[in-house]
Amino acid sequence: MKSIAIIGAGIAGIEAASRLSKQGHKVYLIEKNPEIGGHVAQWDRLFPSQEEAEIVLNDLIKNLNNRAEVLFNSEVQHCGKKDRQFEIILTGNKNLLVDVILVTTGFDTFRAQRKEEYGYGIYENVITSTDLEQMFKKHNVVCKNGNPPKRLAFVHCVGSRDEKVGNRHCSKVCCATAVKQACEIKELYPDCEVFNLYMDLRMFDRHFEDMYHEAQSKYYVNFIRGRLSEAGENKDHQVVLKTEDTLAGKPLKLTVDLLVLMTGMEACDTQKTLNTKLGLRSDTDGFLSTKDVFTQNNFSNTDGVFFAGTCTGPKTIPETLADARAAASLVNAYLMS
Amino acid sequence: MQERLASSFDPFVLPYTIGLVFILTYLFIALIRVVKALPNDDKFKLLKHIFSLKIFKSGWEIFMECLLHRKIWKKNWTLGYMHTAFAFGWFLLIIWGHLEVNIFAPHRLNLPWYPIFFRYFMMETETTLQGSFFFFMMDLTLLYVLSGLVLAIYKRFRRKAFGMKRTTKLRWNDQVAMYALWAIFPLRFLAESFYSEISGGSFLTAGVGSIFHWFYNFTENEIYIRPIWWAYSISLGVFFIMLPWSRYTHILSEPLFIIMRNAGIREEHRNSGYGKVEIYSCSRCGICLDPCQLVSVASLRDSAAINYTRHLRLWKSAKAHQAASTCLMCNRCTKACPVGVDTAALKLNTKHELVNLHTEKQYDYLNTSVKDISTPLNALTLSGAEATDVDVIYFAGCMTHLTPATKLAMTKILEASGERFNFIDAEGSICCGRPVLLAGARKSADELIKKNTELFNQIHAKTLVTSCPICYKFFKENYALNMRVLHHSQYIQELLKIGKIKINPTTAKIVFHDPCELGRNSGVYDEPREVLKSVGQLQSTAYDGDESLCCGHSIAAEALPYRKRRVMSDDVVEKLTTNNPDILATACPACKKAFSETNKIEVKDLAEIVAENLV
Repeated sequence: MKSIAIIGAGIAGIEAASRLSKQGHKVYLIEKNPEIGGHVAQWDRLFPSQEEAEIVLNDLIKNLNNRAEVLFNSEVQHCGKKDRQFEIILTGNKNLLVDVILVTTGFDTFRAQRKEEYGYGIYENVITSTDLEQMFKKHNVVCKNGNPPKRLAFVHCVGSRDEKVGNRHCSKVCCATAVKQACEIKELYPDCEVFNLYMDLRMFDRHFEDMYHEAQSKYYVNFIRGRLSEAGENKDHQVVLKTEDTLAGKPLKLTVDLLVLMTGMEACDTQKTLNTKLGLRSDTDGFLSTKDVFTQNNFSNTDGVFFAGTCTGPKTIPETLADARAAASLVNAYLMS
Repeated sequence: MQERLASSFDPFVLPYTIGLVFILTYLFIALIRVVKALPNDDKFKLLKHIFSLKIFKSGWEIFMECLLHRKIWKKNWTLGYMHTAFAFGWFLLIIWGHLEVNIFAPHRLNLPWYPIFFRYFMMETETTLQGSFFFFMMDLTLLYVLSGLVLAIYKRFRRKAFGMKRTTKLRWNDQVAMYALWAIFPLRFLAESFYSEISGGSFLTAGVGSIFHWFYNFTENEIYIRPIWWAYSISLGVFFIMLPWSRYTHILSEPLFIIMRNAGIREEHRNSGYGKVEIYSCSRCGICLDPCQLVSVASLRDSAAINYTRHLRLWKSAKAHQAASTCLMCNRCTKACPVGVDTAALKLNTKHELVNLHTEKQYDYLNTSVKDISTPLNALTLSGAEATDVDVIYFAGCMTHLTPATKLAMTKILEASGERFNFIDAEGSICCGRPVLLAGARKSADELIKKNTELFNQIHAKTLVTSCPICYKFFKENYALNMRVLHHSQYIQELLKIGKIKINPTTAKIVFHDPCELGRNSGVYDEPREVLKSVGQLQSTAYDGDESLCCGHSIAAEALPYRKRRVMSDDVVEKLTTNNPDILATACPACKKAFSETNKIEVKDLAEIVAENLV
């Protein structure tokens, strides 16, 4: 029986693991956290359908059906080629000998403190999109003082498409997430004024435009084209925003009760440590570089090492799952040959 | 000592003489053109300087810098010796030569080649030994120059021995001039050695000459003797003719540059004559290459000061613009420059050329009526302007608004101190003008200065405190304010000294990064260190004081890509954290942002550290 190590038990890792184990291979699913599910596990509802993240994740886990061996709290300490196989040493000195490594390490969320001018960690009413999902989950969307927000703004592209933090790439999912979250806020507090400060709205996928349309026609969410330049705090701990409405061509000052930063995706640190051990290469954006952008985007430059999910760049959930299934079928073909 | 030949001329002196006439004509025309290009008040300054006692100061400086190369000695002894051997040694040879002619053949002083080829035309008779002193001094000086030449050749192979990692890449014109220069002294040595049996010589030429004769006893008329004099003369002629087209132009322009600088002339607009002299005074020695982080870290060699001046010399304006707009203006090169070429000032001129009329109109609204709400001014008036009875105006600065932790820390410190203060730009302000000036927009900067001065002076405060070194430098140097200007590091140090605030010392290990605008460009080094010493354990680094590095996020370098900046920030953080400090402290919002990006160590403004540990 051939064996596979899948590094990272986010949705890509889970999906690939269930496909490969169904095909009769021995699968080790390595996860550094005590739980599986990755970023999706932190989410409340998903765009564009508002389906609960928990339901999607449970479906994926049900598919896995305990066939793969999940190694929790495990990080790769060492790995290298041994004959035609790979030897992996995990934390706690557990040794694995596998035929294939599938990298599904995913992404890291941009650390919002790096944009100090937006005041995350300095002003009490500045939160990130991840923080907001946690609030949705706990059904407790309030300002620091416990009051519901009367006015709220989302800032798009925090840590994405921003040369100054070294990220030129678009994180793909934040625009749709911001529109989704804006609608959810309006559902929760119909009287709350909601603003979205965007550069462009990238409503690229199926149903996204409908969602955007609904945000305006049904929920009266305000969209302002302009990047936030800086945030301040007034005596009532409201956040004072300085921006420009670039369509109207006017500087704008906006006071809000809660500011949500749409933090983007960055290449993850775990993946960076794997690079040197497995001879993988990163692109200029930090994400893994594939063998060919069009035809071989699940292949690495090292024979027997495959990629799936957001380790090769930002993806939506359907894209990630499709990528995982593609990778699983390629790994299977590789093992059979 | 007597004349050996009836004729005082030989055809071989021609190459030298032609070269000399050429270079003197060139010098005369260039001098007239430079002086003519000077604005009238600068011409007056120059005249006043020349006819004052201060000219002796310039003379002394020319002697110390152009001949002795004092500043190069400070950098590296071997390098200093090499430069001095060439410049001062050659100068002495010329002096001895003229003294000899003056004493032994005064009627030949009108012949320019006579002092140079003295030993061809004159001879020491056995009965008179008057010349032996000069022969000895000549030989000694020649040996001195030759020792410099040996070092110069050695330097081409092993520059590290001279304290240089990088050196100038030579183009063909520089190479021709350099090899001609290198050839002059060995050829002179050979020619004089061959002739030592005939005209006499001292320990070096006579000694080596007798060895030659021991091998083969040639006479003057043998075919291969006279060409040595020809070769010596040709090398001199080639060097003189190549002089204006090579790096050696500085031999002519540097003395003039020193005189003009001491006369108080500055480069304020392009083509003023002074700037021309300045770029031709660059000796292309390459000393500025190592300090430049654009060269050593970001691989942008074309932006180095030495290459920027070359772009200007060759009229490559696109390249000069590129170099000027990627320059960080950290001034590490100007601090290192042995000649004192201020490329930062020249670069502002280059940038000024790029600024168009439209850009310069962007602040026109500042002088329109405040009540006219169609202008954006209502969004920009200073918020605290109504509180006029205060001790201190606190102006955080636009950059500090991007690092809000610093301005919050300063508010806490000001409140704790009990000083009456006015946080004048809490709600917004207009720019101090320095970023605009650094981008070359002089008129816009002037408008901002005018408006800000008006706004500050209407508040009767004693002190203006700013958290931004960029504003600090500009307020201090370009504003006429009714109050003293302090950077917050100076102000905090003062508050600590007079006991208005007290801090609990911690055991945190702190490294301080000197911001360019505060340290090298404004000379504030001690106050931030004193503040940090009172709050934690300040570690020293190899990059303290004038050696401090640029964080890479300089606002001056508008065309420098962020990726290059990031490489530089990473490099600086690595260099500063070799002793594993707990905190990397700085006193500039731009530096703070640059270092926070690297994600490697806790980065704080010194105001934050003080505010956290207030009693």
